[in-house]
Amino acid sequence: METLWYALFGLFFATYLVLGGYDYGTGLLLARTRSVDGRRAILNAIGPFFLGNEVWLVAAIGILIGAFPFLEGELLSGLYPAVALALAGVVVVTVAVQLRSRPASPRIRTAWDRAVIAGSVIAALGWGAVLAGLLQGVPLQAGRHAIGVGHVFTPFVAAGALALLALVTVHGAAFLALRLPAGPADHFARLGRRLAPAAIGAVGLAAAVGALSDRVRAAVQQPGVAVLMLVVLVTALAVAGTAITRRPGLAFAATSLAVALPVLLVGAATWPYALFSSADPAAGITVAEAAASDPTLRLLTWAALPLLPALLGFQLMSWWVFRGRTDGRAPVYW
Amino acid sequence: MDPLLLARLQFATTTSAHFLFVLVTLGLVTLLVYLHTAWFVTKKPEYERLLRFWGTLYVINYVLGIGTGIVLEFQFGLNWSGLSRYVGNVFGAPLAMETLVAFFLESTFLGMWIFGWHRLRRGVHLALLWGVALTAYLSAFWVMVANAWLQNPVGYRIEDGVAHLTDFGALLTNPALGSALGHVVAAALVTGGILMAGVSAWHLIRRTPDHDLFRRSLRIGLVTTTVATIATVGFGFAQFVVLATTQPTKLGGDPADSAALIDEWTTRFGPGDYSPPAWTGVPLELMIMIGFGLLLLAVLVPLCWRDYIIRLRFPLYLLLFAVPLPFLASISGWITREVGRQPWAVYGLLSTTDAVTPASGGLMLASLIGFTLLLGALVVANWIIFARYAARGAHPDLALGRPVDDQPAAPRPDPALV
Repeated sequence: METLWYALFGLFFATYLVLGGYDYGTGLLLARTRSVDGRRAILNAIGPFFLGNEVWLVAAIGILIGAFPFLEGELLSGLYPAVALALAGVVVVTVAVQLRSRPASPRIRTAWDRAVIAGSVIAALGWGAVLAGLLQGVPLQAGRHAIGVGHVFTPFVAAGALALLALVTVHGAAFLALRLPAGPADHFARLGRRLAPAAIGAVGLAAAVGALSDRVRAAVQQPGVAVLMLVVLVTALAVAGTAITRRPGLAFAATSLAVALPVLLVGAATWPYALFSSADPAAGITVAEAAASDPTLRLLTWAALPLLPALLGFQLMSWWVFRGRTDGRAPVYW
Repeated sequence: MDPLLLARLQFATTTSAHFLFVLVTLGLVTLLVYLHTAWFVTKKPEYERLLRFWGTLYVINYVLGIGTGIVLEFQFGLNWSGLSRYVGNVFGAPLAMETLVAFFLESTFLGMWIFGWHRLRRGVHLALLWGVALTAYLSAFWVMVANAWLQNPVGYRIEDGVAHLTDFGALLTNPALGSALGHVVAAALVTGGILMAGVSAWHLIRRTPDHDLFRRSLRIGLVTTTVATIATVGFGFAQFVVLATTQPTKLGGDPADSAALIDEWTTRFGPGDYSPPAWTGVPLELMIMIGFGLLLLAVLVPLCWRDYIIRLRFPLYLLLFAVPLPFLASISGWITREVGRQPWAVYGLLSTTDAVTPASGGLMLASLIGFTLLLGALVVANWIIFARYAARGAHPDLALGRPVDDQPAAPRPDPALV
């Protein structure tokens, strides 16, 4: 049963990165669009989906608290600086996107746009750092607490942060290529085609730094799976880069896969550990140890699981109602 | 610096900020449901205008409700890892339910409600707002289940040094839950009602256009406030009965019970200071005073006859100046409930010392300062925007629910669509 909930946690967090990822990708692409119309078009594109995207993060952390409370405490506090960075970015984007169009003054709107851009970059870097931090393990001591925060600041964490930033940027470009009206969509498709090789480079760099890191090599329990997923990730990016100008739907599917894969990679590569201890492997927390005890998991399985189709159904409804390219009649709010 | 004190300060500031926004969210959404349903049934355009105006304020307020809420959720893991480690099996379940089946749907529905104007069928659009309101109440329910458990842990047993869930039903029938939930929900309605009455009073004092519109929302707000204040005070006093048995050390309950419990704790956990700080009585008294003050607003209800409430002017000023009171009272109540639980994170089970993450003071201080400044700046910005929109009134080009044809066709010269 804990495997099921671990998979659900992965599913919610990966879905958050895919959906929140295009919020951040499009958010930081505001920096490439100085015109008032261009920025309005980007905000209209994410408009109806924005509120429904971030809930996946809140739900993922909720699953962590409910089904893996022990892991939740040690994971979040063990990677404190990385988590705090991601959290700050998430909060800034959430607030700035929703408030930027409320003041009428163009000057204040530009200031909020800068907050969206900065928040998007910080959120992407933060989540990259969190995932990389998980893949290199946390120095849990015998009491299964990590002391200090120095272990987070490594070249691999920096490379991981940059890699996710690159992934999210390509993903945002693919979303805009799919969602904007034909003219501006082409602009972002061409941008995405240029960015895809850079993203492959960033992912390759992170992989190389990881392969050279003793901590990452020790933490990866399933090297075969890790390499396989890395290959799939790079392939997805290559497909996205070639398909984006002609088939943006395929490209968006490919970048979605590419953004989700780091989560699956970290989860599968460190299996059976949920949190690998770089100080003392015996202090590492396996998925089974991390899980809440049986009565709690049974309760959640009976009370929450039957409602999952409803959660998914309402999200699908929102995607369906607001599907297609935006046009002059798209609702404007953010 | 002492990491425990810093972690507590951070939790107190984040929770208080979150609470202020949640009260308005919960109170206003209830009134929006009334306005939207009235519009759906009567098809009168004035209800639509009221809905668009108050809906805009509601959505602006909602933004920081999410912002502070996310920080709060992460703080459990970041700063209070001992809490999840020791009691997570029990305490985590209601929080998981809150995020999965309440907040997840609330935000999804709200997104569709905001953008679904003129696009969805009227019935579907109305149903979405009902969904937002019901999941908001569900959210309050689950959060209070979790909080009530911290006040009065039930339905668990300790094995292998951690708490395990034995009876989830006991969490739902926790005596610390019922009246507290009623109290908080009613307080939210008071807050929403006063806000609506106060903003309307401001417009009526300034004689802005839309006299009829604000006359109507003044009445809705005032009646809501009156009814909800009675409920708030009732549920508030009902809690003293519960506290006498569940938490004798809080609020100076029966001294004999309190002393017996402290003796028991001293035997189990060793000697220590098991009394909450004496000053928790001050916010309690402040809250009770405000509660009785708000009850007096009921005398304004008969003045609605022949609009004396507007013609006399001074009742309008009363309502305007009453706007901060429910916020002040709610924070006081919150402090009474939470600080009154000291030194416990979980009453009689886990002390805050054992619940806090064993992190350095420097890290906690950096986190406290960083997030307080960030959230503080966003809160202030949000309130400025809220106040400006409240003052502008039910302007026809409010972005929320603007007719699609009103939007300038692309390419737009200046889509400064406020």
